[in-house]
Amino acid sequence: MIARMSTEENPAAEPAPVIDVQGDGRWMSQHNRFVQECKDAEPDVLFVGDSMVQLMQQYEVWREVFSPLHALNFGIGGDTTCNVLWRLQNGELENIRPRVVVLWVGTNNHEHTADQVAGGILAIAKLVLSRLPKSKMIVLGLLPRGEFPNPLREKNAAVNNLLRASLPQLGPVQFIDVGGSFVHSDGAISSRDMFDFLHLTASAYRTISMTLHELLLQMLEEMPQERRALLV
Amino acid sequence: MSEDSNPAATPTPCEDIQGDGRWMSLHNRFVSDSKGKEPDVLFVGDSLVQLLHEFEVWRKLFSPLHALNFGVGGDATHHVLWRLMNGELDYISPKVVVLWVGTNNHGHTPEQICGGIMAIINVIHQKLPHAHTLVLGLLPRGKSPNPLRARNASVNDLVQAEVASLSHASFLDMDPGFIQSDGSIAHQDMYDYLHLTPRAYQRVCQPLHERIRSLLDKHAP
Repeated sequence: MIARMSTEENPAAEPAPVIDVQGDGRWMSQHNRFVQECKDAEPDVLFVGDSMVQLMQQYEVWREVFSPLHALNFGIGGDTTCNVLWRLQNGELENIRPRVVVLWVGTNNHEHTADQVAGGILAIAKLVLSRLPKSKMIVLGLLPRGEFPNPLREKNAAVNNLLRASLPQLGPVQFIDVGGSFVHSDGAISSRDMFDFLHLTASAYRTISMTLHELLLQMLEEMPQERRALLV
Repeated sequence: MSEDSNPAATPTPCEDIQGDGRWMSLHNRFVSDSKGKEPDVLFVGDSLVQLLHEFEVWRKLFSPLHALNFGVGGDATHHVLWRLMNGELDYISPKVVVLWVGTNNHGHTPEQICGGIMAIINVIHQKLPHAHTLVLGLLPRGKSPNPLRARNASVNDLVQAEVASLSHASFLDMDPGFIQSDGSIAHQDMYDYLHLTPRAYQRVCQPLHERIRSLLDKHAP
């Protein structure tokens, strides 16, 4: 079903910038900063997505675990698959050759169905793999959200199931679901893990970072360092 | 400006548009949290308050003061007003209430936003006649000069003036000079040109901590 959904049919796969409604142009400022970072940096790992990615950089775990891997963080709070697609098509993949791209987006796609969201994520993965043919990808599953069981948990789980089935067919893409530990036996999510039942606390980020870090190390070790043009 | 004509001063809960009821979950948790605790300090407001709780600075500077954090990301003055009028102040009697809200009041004029903040101060005073409300100034936002910076600065001027005549409230300017000489705000201070990095929180929280300490000392019998 997903393979047949073309870009024209899937609104979640339509690239779109965020329109500045509030009046301080913050989204475009962040995008422009990322484009500039592409010109200045040579990351081995690129993280891209929404606030789940962005907030990670504000916690100690980023400095301890991901900075040492020469990682860049192109997360923007509130972003949907459409916004990430637009950013990657408009400069955020220029001039860099990260060996692994980590993608985490989809929980903010409120206007779209699970099928559409999965399609949007696949579209991003296809774009990245076509622009960076030597790179691998890690796609993180959408986390459960809300204090108690609710329709968004079901939707996010449905997205994850679709991704689990279709991502591997695209190439060197690994799907990981780090949401397993957050829902307790009574169906509740603790504010100790998600301080607003959506965003992760420092300790929750530590928990998921262990799995992510291990996988990143594996992927980075599997790939020979790309030799720069011989300058002999 | 009467409450009826000022949307920023009309208590309004947040509608659950997304479908996971998170706003109400947070509100309910704050109410039930408050039943077991005896905070000396209550922080209430938007994401600038909420995120403060997630960084080291909270544990170092504010936990020792027996502080509770009732911040909710995205909240505007009318949301905070509703929360305080619907249980969040009913089971506690903090000596100091730290109020930081207003930057999310999109579409409201500085006068309306000030009216919203004053309405909140009023409600706190009614429910907690012995508490002192410390109103924190809105920070500049956006990478470059823009209308919201002007709006927030106007709100601060208006609030500072109105609060001057009150004995149960005072104003604290929270901007240590985030705007650089070229008019820009650094992403090392505001990672998205709105929310503070841990290092920026360290900077703004020192004077805040001192002010709260002195208010608590004055409050002591």
